[in-house]
Amino acid sequence: MQKTALAAAIASALLAPATSIAATDPEIAELKAMLSAMKQDYEQRIQSLERRLAEAERTASAPQESTWTADEAASKPMTAPSASQPVASTPSTTGGGFGALTSGSAFNPQISVILDGNYYHDGIDGAGAALVGEALQPSGGHAHAHGDETEHAHGHGTTENGFNFREAEIAFSATVDPYFDAAAYLAVTDDGDVHLEEAWMQTRNLPQGLRVKAGKFLSDFGYINKQHPHQWDFVDQNLAYLNLLGDHGLQDTGIQLTWLPPLPVYTLLGVEALQGDQELFGTTVDDAEQAELSLGDTRDGPRLWTAFAKVAPDLGQNHALQFGLSYAHNSQHQEVHSHTHEGEDEVHENGLAGDADLWGLDVVYKYDGAGPDGQGDVKFQTEYLRAIKDLDVHSSPHEEIVGSNRTFTTDGLYAQAVYGFAPKWTVGLRYDVLGLTNEVSGDGDASYGSSDRWTLNLTWSLSEFSQLRAQYARNDILVAENERERFDAFYLQFLVSLGSHGAHSF
Amino acid sequence: MLKRLSFVLMSLICLGNASAASLDVVATSPSMGALVRAVAGDRAALRVLAGPDRDLHQLQVKPSMIRALRSADLVVAIGAELEIGWLPPAIASAANPSIQPGRAGYFEAAAQVPLLDAGGPADRALGDVHPVGNPHVDMDPARMTTIARALAERMAQLDPGGAAAYRRGAESFASAVEQRLPGWRARLANAHGVVLYHRDAIYLLERFGVPLLGTIEAVPGVPPSGRYLSELTAKLSGKDGVIIYAPYQAPKAANKLARDLGWQAVRLSLEPPLKADGNGYLAHLDAWVETIASGR
Repeated sequence: MQKTALAAAIASALLAPATSIAATDPEIAELKAMLSAMKQDYEQRIQSLERRLAEAERTASAPQESTWTADEAASKPMTAPSASQPVASTPSTTGGGFGALTSGSAFNPQISVILDGNYYHDGIDGAGAALVGEALQPSGGHAHAHGDETEHAHGHGTTENGFNFREAEIAFSATVDPYFDAAAYLAVTDDGDVHLEEAWMQTRNLPQGLRVKAGKFLSDFGYINKQHPHQWDFVDQNLAYLNLLGDHGLQDTGIQLTWLPPLPVYTLLGVEALQGDQELFGTTVDDAEQAELSLGDTRDGPRLWTAFAKVAPDLGQNHALQFGLSYAHNSQHQEVHSHTHEGEDEVHENGLAGDADLWGLDVVYKYDGAGPDGQGDVKFQTEYLRAIKDLDVHSSPHEEIVGSNRTFTTDGLYAQAVYGFAPKWTVGLRYDVLGLTNEVSGDGDASYGSSDRWTLNLTWSLSEFSQLRAQYARNDILVAENERERFDAFYLQFLVSLGSHGAHSF
Repeated sequence: MLKRLSFVLMSLICLGNASAASLDVVATSPSMGALVRAVAGDRAALRVLAGPDRDLHQLQVKPSMIRALRSADLVVAIGAELEIGWLPPAIASAANPSIQPGRAGYFEAAAQVPLLDAGGPADRALGDVHPVGNPHVDMDPARMTTIARALAERMAQLDPGGAAAYRRGAESFASAVEQRLPGWRARLANAHGVVLYHRDAIYLLERFGVPLLGTIEAVPGVPPSGRYLSELTAKLSGKDGVIIYAPYQAPKAANKLARDLGWQAVRLSLEPPLKADGNGYLAHLDAWVETIASGR
């Protein structure tokens, strides 16, 4: 019906000008031939269109038949079409057949962007946000600044009193091919610096519960280490991680092997070989200082090794409990300790080198209250870290101590609980402390005090994609021997997530 | 010492593998568990990851889920992004290539049947929307028979020795549904309609032509405002119906609406009990049909 109407319309449209002109017979004959050729062409096109339409209708109304035979295809997960539709995989008819057949953006990785900003205020002119990461410990850390300290320059921006934009995290992830998955995470700070937080590939197909990951990644050491800042239950990192591992935690380039043995309880065992470019625990000093203080060159990697085990008994669907034990060894650790003597201007620098160990214990418990939007849920997590650096003095203005040994031990822990007291609302409480043990032993003995903090916060998750958080902390930070800074710090934070649906990881 | 330790380890491994069933199946929800029991019976050792009172969209990964997926031959999910927050990361962590999406060991119910609500705009101003379609296909008994047959074929592919048994299981489930349909149809012929919290039972309503009078949430995943609720009350006053909400949905708005309209607000799970089989699933639908029919 429609076909004949269309053909008639085309014919009359073409015929009208042809008949109005007094034309010669051969011309008319030629036109007629052209016309019939065109008619045939259009009819063919319309028929093929109809055929395609009928086919589409058939598959849409009776998917049972198609899925039965092609159930390989039906084992693929259904996902929402991306906002930019892929170009049709069947030849496009509307484009007149000029378009190239392409799968367009269908192969784009999953993308999400997370924006993390805050308003911050503390009672010491905004110095507090940096200070909590510079609590006194006898080794390393930020406490022994070199004047031209650059270590902190690649932190996540600097937090000042007032408005701060911490970072925009851009995450890409996709399946590479049948063998690998891969992901990349970029953090863009408010001054435009871009940091590669993670970029790794991981195997999909290894047998026996084995997986291998390679690239730059956050280590599976401990529990909170591999979480990105927007996944934390508190605005800022706990004192133990912040002071023993730095702003980015144990983040390095290397390779990881994990094994999930078929035991009755969940057990994950893993080892990592990492380059040793870790900001605090895995640090070596620069070439100039290495030469000046006769510390020796940075050796070939990998220099940092980790091993971890996680065990989680099955406690039914309301409870989840996981225990973790982690160990890291850094085979080359270098530090410069500077000091001045009373009445002298000259800064004395001691060069120390050796190795470092880090132990971690973690316990995580979650209760699923099954209430609306997280009401009744409880999450408790605690971790203990202990860093032991075994260093020798390689150079010093005080000749007598060269060659002597110093063992620096600093530990720390945090315990935090988050409770969903109403739908979409949680309250969190955290206690963290650094330096329960905070001492030097070996050829020189000294012991220092600890720094600690109480933090209380309130989080409103408006939807799965946005969060507002208010946080108050009472800090008691040891900044120098017998010198403490006690201050209050207040955060208001927003977190929004654009793009693909986030993962609800354990 | 080491010998003893390895002995303990070996015996634990053997214990972990000890199972008479031919297929180790993990179902994400009780309805999928019921379908597995209906189709495979004793041939499947089944583990259901979430109970009927859980929100399958909000669930978090637990290590025990990863452990269950580690040795599964087949994972049966409702799919269409319902479990998107936790199932993909759990499968990725399980280090089990045979249940990866795209393999025979990965089965999505929603991928076997046509979906409602498909193709909406991908705009989260409209809430937690999923343009791929409404995933709650397990509420439609007719679609479930299609899914049961597809599941039987999948199981037959993974365990050819049981092919006849799986197909028999699917057919007897299908005929049980077939027997119930006329009764349900008659019971719901004059149903006034339902207010749901979320568009999660629409497959059942659509199957029996029961009108959906409204949803308590204005957009998916966002609680209703007072103004929206009073508009809803105004729209529905004078009409008849029943309000149904799931155990994990906040009852406050549902109860207020019920009071204002003089209706009943009923808390009813979208999923059958954890241990339900095919009959348990049908009994679960009976409860829904009776509740809808009770709307005055």
